[in-house]
Amino acid sequence: MKRNIALLFSVIGLFSCQKVIQLNLNTSPTQIVIQGNVYDQAGPDTVKITNSVRFDQSNVYPAVTGAKVTISTNLGESEVLTEITSGVYITSKLPGVPGRTYTLTVVTAGQTYTSISTMPYAVKIDSIYLKNSTFGKNKEATIKFQDPANVKNYYRVIEFVNNVKQNQFNVINDKVFEGKITNYVIRGAVDKDIALKTGDKVSVWLESLDPDAYEYFRTAITDSRESATPTNPVSNINNSALGYFNACSVRKITLVIP
Amino acid sequence: MILRKAVVVLVLGLCLLYSPIFGQTKYTLSGTIKDSKTGEDLIGATVTIKELSNKGTAANTYGFYSLTLPAGIYQMSVQYTGYKRNIQTIKLDQSLKLNFNLSEQEKELDEVVVTAARKDENVTQTQMGLQKLDPAELKNIPVLFGEKDVLKTIQLLPGIKSAGEGSSGFNVRGGATDQNLILLDEATVYNASHLMGFFSVFNSEAIKDVAVYKGNEPAEYGGRLSSVLDVKMNDGNDKAIGVSGGIGLISSRLTVEGPIVKDKGSFIISARRTYADMFLKLSRDSNLNSARLYFYDLNAKANYRLNDKNRIFLSGYFGKDVLGLGTKFGIDWGNSTGTLRWNHLFSNQLFSNTSLIFSNYSYKININNGTEMHIISRIQDYGVKQDFQFFISDKSTLKFGFNSIYHKIIPGAITATNTSLKSLTNKYSLENAVYISHQYKISDRINAEYGSRFTLFSQLGPGDFYTYDSNGNILRTTTYRSGQSVKTYINLEPRVTLNYILNSGNSIKAAYARNVQNLHLLSNSTSGNPTDLWISSSNNVKPEISDQVSLGYYRNFSDNKYEFSTEIYYKNLQNQIDYQNGAELNFNENVESQILFGKGRAYGLEMFLKKKYGKLNGWISYTLSRTERKFDEINNGNYFPARQDRTHDISVVGIYDLTKRLTLSATWVFTTGNAVTFPTGKYQVDLKTMYYYSDRNANRMPDYHRLDLGLTWIRKKSAKFESSWTFSLYNAYGHDNAYTITFRDSEADPTKTEAVQTTLFKFVPSFSYNFKF
Repeated sequence: MKRNIALLFSVIGLFSCQKVIQLNLNTSPTQIVIQGNVYDQAGPDTVKITNSVRFDQSNVYPAVTGAKVTISTNLGESEVLTEITSGVYITSKLPGVPGRTYTLTVVTAGQTYTSISTMPYAVKIDSIYLKNSTFGKNKEATIKFQDPANVKNYYRVIEFVNNVKQNQFNVINDKVFEGKITNYVIRGAVDKDIALKTGDKVSVWLESLDPDAYEYFRTAITDSRESATPTNPVSNINNSALGYFNACSVRKITLVIP
Repeated sequence: MILRKAVVVLVLGLCLLYSPIFGQTKYTLSGTIKDSKTGEDLIGATVTIKELSNKGTAANTYGFYSLTLPAGIYQMSVQYTGYKRNIQTIKLDQSLKLNFNLSEQEKELDEVVVTAARKDENVTQTQMGLQKLDPAELKNIPVLFGEKDVLKTIQLLPGIKSAGEGSSGFNVRGGATDQNLILLDEATVYNASHLMGFFSVFNSEAIKDVAVYKGNEPAEYGGRLSSVLDVKMNDGNDKAIGVSGGIGLISSRLTVEGPIVKDKGSFIISARRTYADMFLKLSRDSNLNSARLYFYDLNAKANYRLNDKNRIFLSGYFGKDVLGLGTKFGIDWGNSTGTLRWNHLFSNQLFSNTSLIFSNYSYKININNGTEMHIISRIQDYGVKQDFQFFISDKSTLKFGFNSIYHKIIPGAITATNTSLKSLTNKYSLENAVYISHQYKISDRINAEYGSRFTLFSQLGPGDFYTYDSNGNILRTTTYRSGQSVKTYINLEPRVTLNYILNSGNSIKAAYARNVQNLHLLSNSTSGNPTDLWISSSNNVKPEISDQVSLGYYRNFSDNKYEFSTEIYYKNLQNQIDYQNGAELNFNENVESQILFGKGRAYGLEMFLKKKYGKLNGWISYTLSRTERKFDEINNGNYFPARQDRTHDISVVGIYDLTKRLTLSATWVFTTGNAVTFPTGKYQVDLKTMYYYSDRNANRMPDYHRLDLGLTWIRKKSAKFESSWTFSLYNAYGHDNAYTITFRDSEADPTKTEAVQTTLFKFVPSFSYNFKF
């Protein structure tokens, strides 16, 4: 919906033009960025830790090495993760089980960062099919799934085109389709104007998140164009860390374009 | 404390008010003042008495005046800007009813125009912080797309700032755009913009009078913190049928007016339609050429004088915007208002007006993805307003009355093929106010206007009402029956203005006013969306309160050819609204949990120099200002500049009559940039580049400046037929003004990020053909 309105705004923008400008931006101190996932799948699960950089630097984000990264569960299981490459920490034995609550603890440079995430039960994708795009000529992949009744569900949808992960954030909750069979259009390819053609492979992950992880991705979507006062996403990690910790169930489906 | 003081002042005032009545026998002069050609009431036309050193009174909104004087022989002068003066000698030995018809003055170019109008009104009147605009002044000022527009033109006045390129939204003295009360014939207009703000809902052909009160409004107005924009529609010609219209590049308009019964009643109907989407049809992009993008609106008004003591008016506005892409997506929105008014003279000193007022703003989103779905939202007002004006003497006028409005808000409802999918609870509230205000000439030098408004606002059931903890979780739910009061707020809004006339042509004014606002617009987009939601004060949302003090110096010189004024103001704001990070404002039952409350302050200096007559006329306006907000949850609880904070703001308007038929005009505006939040760093999450923000509104948009040119060419002008062409060029030197600045991964080098500036309008030409017969 928001996107549709944005499109209509662009109609008015027929007179408009764009140019790249040089700005003298203020610089804030380096911030720590933590991205942690625990899946209900065979491991290993990964926690990635980097630092932020200045706006005018290139898109290379320094790894935070030598951190002590621990994930524990409400059943008392606990594991210290191993750093396999710079800033990337993995589990070796900790299982991802729906219903369990996971606690992430990162200790680095004298600071401790923690986050808690409870893994919801998985929701299965029933099917994936192609339909004509509402706008433009491209085809859109659509998934169909049954939203479980009497429980609040929060979803994140991730799309891969020919095994390339699309980097948009797509999250939804079941406020308007509680307990119903739901069709959800995967926008990734369309938004990037990728025309799907015969033989292309579209894979979709449907992650079931807990409310705090959902809130992170929802607030990360709002981009600076739409909001008058852009703000940082609401992270579920404490101590002002950026990023998220997400214990989620995931189901996957793949479509090869006929 | 303030309350007790106000009551004392009021009581003292009332005592003063009756004292002059004792003494010698007094009689009342009263009547109406109208335009001789069209029969339109001349609002604010003055009646002065030579023997009273040219003191007198002014006609009210309905052209009615009343002046009570001791018996005697007087030379009386009736005048109005741009009209010939009418002078009469009267013998006042009984109360007299005198109606005047003034005729318009022909403009002579070759000589100095001697206007008979009272030219020092701005110096002598008590009111301060008031900007008036004569729709006739509008016609030569160039605007975007050539559609002359009161909302664009008032933005060229001091203290009133544009909310963005081409926008009809405006900020007054540091207030937000929802802190302006916009009235059309007394009915609230909730969304005054068409086509995302590039046009306003006010059709200049249908408008008689525009006044903006910058926070010091008289006590009969209330409900918003920053300003009142009071727009009055034409009544229509009660002498003869007239037709006027215009055909332009993207819009056309037509107005028909005439008598219902000659000299007793008249009507006017004015319609407009834009067809901006015609150009989209030329586009090869299938999304664009199937797009619908237009608006239309209709103003209608009728009035009828039943007899000398009674007159009724019926006025209405209906407007609609339509935006759509093919059959799959569409959104339409619009306002409708209606006012039924009854003027009654209880005596020749006591004037009464009773109004029944209706207002509606709604939008509807249509989505057709196989199944049809609609989302609707609406705010509706049903109101009654009673105003009395008691013209006690030549020194003293008392105004009092009440106003009640019942608000109904439908925040959002989704339906699919006629079955309701989900809808948010409708909200009801009742806004009551009583007011009293006294204008008093304390001496020849000192005038005062003081009074107060007393408001009582109740949020009403039915429904479930929630209270929240600091994390926005529901703490308690209470269910209320229909009509049951959920929360009531009582406020006193004292207002006072003093004018000290130093000598003819020089005066100093000072004012204090409190304003209270109980309806709040939730909007966190850069440009304002038609889908922004209004909410009322509630158990969670307290009324917004402002206290403003201002001081001004007014001076006219060169025989009132030049008018100069300067005002300084300081404003304190309570219970201001901002939003939590990532707040969900649309379609959220718990929207009140997404709001933050804080305070604010605004202060500034305004200067205005106007040349009123001659071949070259126009004005220069300058504003130096600051507006800041403070929220515990934002910026570590420190003050930060509000988005509309802009340090310098300059407007220059020049209108030059080349010949009798050719008028050249130009406006130039310069402003320093708005406050804005730019990233102070970047990082990556799941392959996506994210921007890091620290201090709120710590950056500035680039300076904005623009020159617009206009040319009006009167082709034919006779008593029977008039036609003219207007041409305009918006942003004539094509400066790249930043509408938005956004950040993205560089397209040329994906390992970098870049800032991108979007410019909306450069060199936008337009023309229109106007006629009148």
